[in-house]
Amino acid sequence: MCVMPFGFPPHVKILRTHSTDEFVNWSGSVRFIPRSQVWPANDEAVSVYVRDAAARSRKIRVAGSGHSSSPLVETPDILMSMRDHRGLIDYDLARSRATVGAGTVLHDLGPILHDIGLSMENLGDVDTQTIAGVISTGTHGSGRTLQNISATLVGLRAVTGTGEIVEWSLEKEPDLINAVRVSMGLLGIFTAVRLQLQPRYQLRRREYVARTEDCLAHLDELADAHRNFDFYWYPRRDEVKLRTLNPPGTPTPELPYAHHIHEENGHSHEIIAQERKLKFEELEYFVPAEAGPACFREVRRRILKRHRKQVGWRVLYRLIAKDDGFLSPAHGRDSVAISLHQNASLPYQDYFDDIESILRAHDGRPHWGKKHSLHGAALAALYPRWNDFVTLRQQLDPQRVFLTAPMARLLGEE
Amino acid sequence: MLKAIGAKVWAIPGGHMPLLSSGAEPRDTSRDELCVLNAGHLNVQVELTIYYEDREPVGPYRLKVAAQRVRHMRFNDLIDPQALPLDTPYAVLLVADHPVVVQFTRHDTSQPANAIATTLAFAG
Repeated sequence: MCVMPFGFPPHVKILRTHSTDEFVNWSGSVRFIPRSQVWPANDEAVSVYVRDAAARSRKIRVAGSGHSSSPLVETPDILMSMRDHRGLIDYDLARSRATVGAGTVLHDLGPILHDIGLSMENLGDVDTQTIAGVISTGTHGSGRTLQNISATLVGLRAVTGTGEIVEWSLEKEPDLINAVRVSMGLLGIFTAVRLQLQPRYQLRRREYVARTEDCLAHLDELADAHRNFDFYWYPRRDEVKLRTLNPPGTPTPELPYAHHIHEENGHSHEIIAQERKLKFEELEYFVPAEAGPACFREVRRRILKRHRKQVGWRVLYRLIAKDDGFLSPAHGRDSVAISLHQNASLPYQDYFDDIESILRAHDGRPHWGKKHSLHGAALAALYPRWNDFVTLRQQLDPQRVFLTAPMARLLGEE
Repeated sequence: MLKAIGAKVWAIPGGHMPLLSSGAEPRDTSRDELCVLNAGHLNVQVELTIYYEDREPVGPYRLKVAAQRVRHMRFNDLIDPQALPLDTPYAVLLVADHPVVVQFTRHDTSQPANAIATTLAFAG
């Protein structure tokens, strides 16, 4: 095992700015002015901020890259950035594990891991988020056997709501790790995360265009045949783009019903994520995998009937394997994630509200970092370990330092 | 060598994508379609601005047309910077950095007896 020096100086260093700068998320729909925006230089400084906030009954939220479009980071008081908690801390090639700073951005993490011979198992559609952000919100890629990114968390260093600096591992505290995987910063502020990785690997991306009905008729075999598989459905054409990723050389079936349009090969971190410059709002729900096709068909019918006039953006259909995270949207069930997009500059609420009712009717769970309307009891009913999570939150943050008004409403703890 | 033909500025006043379609999609989707011929020997960058009856213009929508190539594009598919609404009158101003020839076509499959109308755009 190679251990690099823990990357932060031992003394407490605090950088503070009393700012009137407005925070604006990536899509532009979450805006607020916190009392201050801070970026502590080390774990001890994070602890000082938390203890101070607890004593003054103030609220702290941590913003990663600001990619979420639900009000997860909204706070009247302290908005914290982990920009000084970035980079590789240690790694273990024999077990394919590495510890990195919580504020490390995925786009930077790929090359860092590649240089030491490791890679993440999967990525989402973009890689602009921080590693703590994607873990905390249940962000995912697509693949029938692949779990969301939070499932690769095997240990962490964090500061709880009492200011205590803790280190938890999957081996010693499995229940805590399963609680903290998708915890939206409610159990503690991550300062470093230990990840289960894979030896670095290559992928080949192949994309096809096909008729929607042909895609749906072959959905199971597509999901089984490819390491990563998802599809876009285009409402203004009623056709799909099939996206597949496999290690080069993997035999994959021909798709006689589809037209091959794109291929590229490269390191996994360069191939999985895509660049997205155009801003959009998004609603995404995870439905049980077996309900995915019927749910999608109903979404498709509704969009064609009611929304095609205003909606030109695609619908994305992805597969996620089940996991044990208390609040993971894939908790205990293999899932299909169906997501809607709309230009950030266009109205989206009526569209999202209407389709959300279909996704809910199929026992859907919302993505925590995207638009949705659920809170309190409606969410609690979806998660078997909801009460365990709330109990733990109350133990780890008794002064409600991390429980802002939007988060209290989300948990039903107003 | 053929001299580059066309113009750098074109206008299409009569845009209107029908809301309804019949038949097999995407082949029979009701649509407005842009056809740009670049007969020249340089790649062309095209910028579209969309005008409406009751709101500010939206654009630019950018597309490239390679040298000595033709490009067909459905207005229905545009989302960058913003999707165009169906069933809404609009107009198009096209500005290219080299001369091109622009044709506009409407496929209206609102009813099974579908209709096609096509015209050259107005060269500015």
